[in-house]
Amino acid sequence: MKGKIVSVHSFRGGTGKSNVTANLAAQVAMTGKRVGVVDTDIQSPGIHVLFGLDESKMGKTMNDFLHGKATVREIGFPVGENTGGGEGRSKLAGKDLWLFPSSIRGREISQILKEGVDFNLLNEGLQSTITEFDLDYLFIDTHPGLNEETLLSIATSDILIIILRPDNQDLQGTSVTVDIARSLDVPNLFLLVNKALPKYDFAQVQTEIQQKFDAPVTSVLPLSFDLADNASNDLFSLRFPEHDWSKALNRVVEFVLAVK
Amino acid sequence: MPGVFDRLDKEIKDKQKEGGITPLDLAELPPALRKIMRLMLRELQMNYPRLCEVMDAIPESDRLSRDELQEALTTLTQQQWLNRIGEGEKAIYKVNLRRREGSKLAAGIWSALDAKLKKNPSDT
Repeated sequence: MKGKIVSVHSFRGGTGKSNVTANLAAQVAMTGKRVGVVDTDIQSPGIHVLFGLDESKMGKTMNDFLHGKATVREIGFPVGENTGGGEGRSKLAGKDLWLFPSSIRGREISQILKEGVDFNLLNEGLQSTITEFDLDYLFIDTHPGLNEETLLSIATSDILIIILRPDNQDLQGTSVTVDIARSLDVPNLFLLVNKALPKYDFAQVQTEIQQKFDAPVTSVLPLSFDLADNASNDLFSLRFPEHDWSKALNRVVEFVLAVK
Repeated sequence: MPGVFDRLDKEIKDKQKEGGITPLDLAELPPALRKIMRLMLRELQMNYPRLCEVMDAIPESDRLSRDELQEALTTLTQQQWLNRIGEGEKAIYKVNLRRREGSKLAAGIWSALDAKLKKNPSDT
């Protein structure tokens, strides 16, 4: 059976989407699954930082693939073989986790903006990543808001996780995304609340948001100064597995793994 | 001399240059057409027997009849949202997504930006 595509999206920036995506992918890889993470946020890539990949180590990227200069095989960065520089990341040694990064070189980002995107090629890249690496799960870190790359990844997803903060702007934006996801027939639509103030009643937040969108809220993650202090230097949930944020994140992992 | 696969590949690429559907249009499609497009997006390409096989594997309530499937394929290929390559049962169907055009900013802006970025050694 073909691997599952899990798109992680938020209508607005700053929701912690890349952090959540990287940690989710890492936790799923820790269960022994073969996992890929694609950064389709070509305009403002960032998830590579969480996997300890910087410009000096970055080889071929999604940008090269979209320009026909690289195959997906050449883009895959084996995280399990490059776990240095982080106590949390070191736990991924030997795990089957690959990152497919987007370029952080200014010229390559501007080239995509200037020349546009071949969506046939982008979709072929996403699908062939699953087959070439024999993945169980492919996580897609999308650009916030709704653009065509995001819509394509939503349309091709088995699971869509929409991240929102308990904030009125996020709530309104999420309702747009939920409507579109439903009209694209995404089979498993999940919500995840991040950055909830500790003074809130999390169970109440979960119930209210679940009722508002008629979709399961997989977890409510607290606003955490410890996570902010980590400054994307490491995979927080691996480094601090007993932290409330990590425990809440693992409830999302259970939802993902439960999808048949 | 180009082989049959090269010729097919060229035929596919030529067809993909024409028309195509945008990811946003997918949301506007009638359910039967959208169902096929979603399947095709995941499988990349399928011939008719394979499409029937995949269709038979989904729950009966969501399944299209052979007539509905045929009708949907005709509509999708007429619109050039699916490309049909080859003839008969061996013909394959492939999604044709419309390319996102590049920025409409004046070319001078891009060349100025490019020149500026070239000066940054880490970007070369």
